[in-house]
Amino acid sequence: MLTINVFNGLVYGALLIVMCSGLALIYGLRRVVNFAHGSLYMLGAYLGYSIATYSSFWVALVAAPALMALLGICLDRFGFRLLQDRDPLTVVLVTFGLLMIIEDAVQTIWGKDNLSVPPPALLNASVDLFGTPVPAYRVGVMAIGLLVALGLTLWMRFSRAGLFVRAASTDPATTAMQGVNTDALSATVVGVGTALAGLAGVVAAPFLALSPSMSSDVLIDSFVVVVIGGLGSLSGAFVTALVLGLVQSVGAVYLPSASAILPFILMIAVLLWKPAGLAGSRT
Amino acid sequence: MTTSLSRIALSALIALLAGGAFVAFVGSATVVSLLTQAIIYAVFALGVGLLLRQNGLVSFGHAAFFGSAGYSVAVLLETQAVPAEAAIVLTLLGVTAVSFLLGLVFVRVPGIAFGMLTLAVGQMLFLTASRSRGLTGGADGMNINWPNTLFGVSTSALTEPHAMFALCWAALVLTMVALALLLRGRFGAITEAVRDNEERARFIGIRTLLPRAAVFALSGGVTALAGVLAALNTGFVSPENLHWSVSGVALMMVVVGGQGALWGPPLGAVVYFVLKDVLGGYADHWMAIFGAALIATIVFSPRGLVGALQRLVRRRAATPAVLPATPRGAVHH
Repeated sequence: MLTINVFNGLVYGALLIVMCSGLALIYGLRRVVNFAHGSLYMLGAYLGYSIATYSSFWVALVAAPALMALLGICLDRFGFRLLQDRDPLTVVLVTFGLLMIIEDAVQTIWGKDNLSVPPPALLNASVDLFGTPVPAYRVGVMAIGLLVALGLTLWMRFSRAGLFVRAASTDPATTAMQGVNTDALSATVVGVGTALAGLAGVVAAPFLALSPSMSSDVLIDSFVVVVIGGLGSLSGAFVTALVLGLVQSVGAVYLPSASAILPFILMIAVLLWKPAGLAGSRT
Repeated sequence: MTTSLSRIALSALIALLAGGAFVAFVGSATVVSLLTQAIIYAVFALGVGLLLRQNGLVSFGHAAFFGSAGYSVAVLLETQAVPAEAAIVLTLLGVTAVSFLLGLVFVRVPGIAFGMLTLAVGQMLFLTASRSRGLTGGADGMNINWPNTLFGVSTSALTEPHAMFALCWAALVLTMVALALLLRGRFGAITEAVRDNEERARFIGIRTLLPRAAVFALSGGVTALAGVLAALNTGFVSPENLHWSVSGVALMMVVVGGQGALWGPPLGAVVYFVLKDVLGGYADHWMAIFGAALIATIVFSPRGLVGALQRLVRRRAATPAVLPATPRGAVHH
């Protein structure tokens, strides 16, 4: 009983890692808290649904995030770049307007009914985990979360682009003065961040139903994660995502009446102790 | 920025008379009901706008105050713990007190994280209300059992569309007068100083936490008043009143109306409801339409309709437009 809950918690945590790393990347470089991130996740999921219906899940897994990356690049070029001298709160409100437009578009194109995507045949089996059978697909979700966390960490630590991103998120003006093309960098980072939201959507589709409310649920959880972890901190987000997944699913067993509010209590407690979040010093 | 007492009194008098004339001359109950809803949301937006104007904080969770005021009245009436009049007063005081305590914690959270925090806490209340069983009726919501008379007036006469409009209008005008009087004094000056530069305000000996928490409490209290009016108007409260999209709509009214003047957010609320009605058949797509309107306002007229109107008036007066060196809400690092 507990094994399966811990397992499910880690699976949801892995999904949150994919979501929150995009949110943290965009915040790190552009200082934008993207309220439309949940809607981008939803758009990715529905795109994935359509692609999976016409071809296969594996095509969707690649094509939907690729399309979302293009969207992200446009978003940066025609949105964030033009607004970079504005008050951060202004940009937040723009992303909120974007959220409303995307939600409407998704409801108009795909309707308000719940849709579902079957897991791919290859992973449509169960795996034995310490004597408990678990769906193989969810093991795959966990693997994707780990790969994203590992890939991003390596990219940030060892690539030139990663060095620039870390520099620019500390001080964008000085970084630009040193000859780094921060605009090109930002297009890459926002593109990757948006693609990750899309990837999370496609990955979530086979185990969470597609519905117009899917965006706000995951957006709220992601906000809890990045606020607790510290805005813009990737490692803070990774750890907090797993902890939050565990708290939710294990809490559902031991404190069923309070499980919905446990994450928020955790968040308020952390903010009381450290207003900038666990790993956060930069605000 | 200080407005003279006589000007406040005169504006209030004109506003009250205009409301009375409106009730006397507009016969259509549909139009009056639509505007009643707009006025209730105008009070709501006033609360959200107050927080942005005096604290520089954007709340994405004010529906929490709006909805819990409705629930508080509903539960107090259902359990018959206190008379209805006391239930209203207790609700307003209770929500204000709770928001003061919350404010002590929340306002210390910097800028954008504050918005995310309020969103999350608001959604926590929404989830709790929709999953709760028993008295509050979970996702179905609960009816509010108003007694037959309220403050000595028959409730059915009070909730008749024209009377309801007059009541809400009076509540809006009086709240605005109270806020205008409060903000023209020391409290307004202190909160603006703290908003513009908290560190400097602390250096000159102002205790910064209490005034900011007080603004938060006041903002929660005004929003609770909107919640109580809505409870009286519809006689029903459900988790929908707590949903983040309600907070979002209120915030949109503030931005579209403009936070530069006290009457900006209420103006945004009225524009929102009238526009939604005019859109008619296209109202299914109101989310996209208002989303685009929100973005357009922020990009082209950051100070909202208030800013646009003020610019127009200034141009009419043929005086050269004098803009402050730094616009309101400019970036502070």
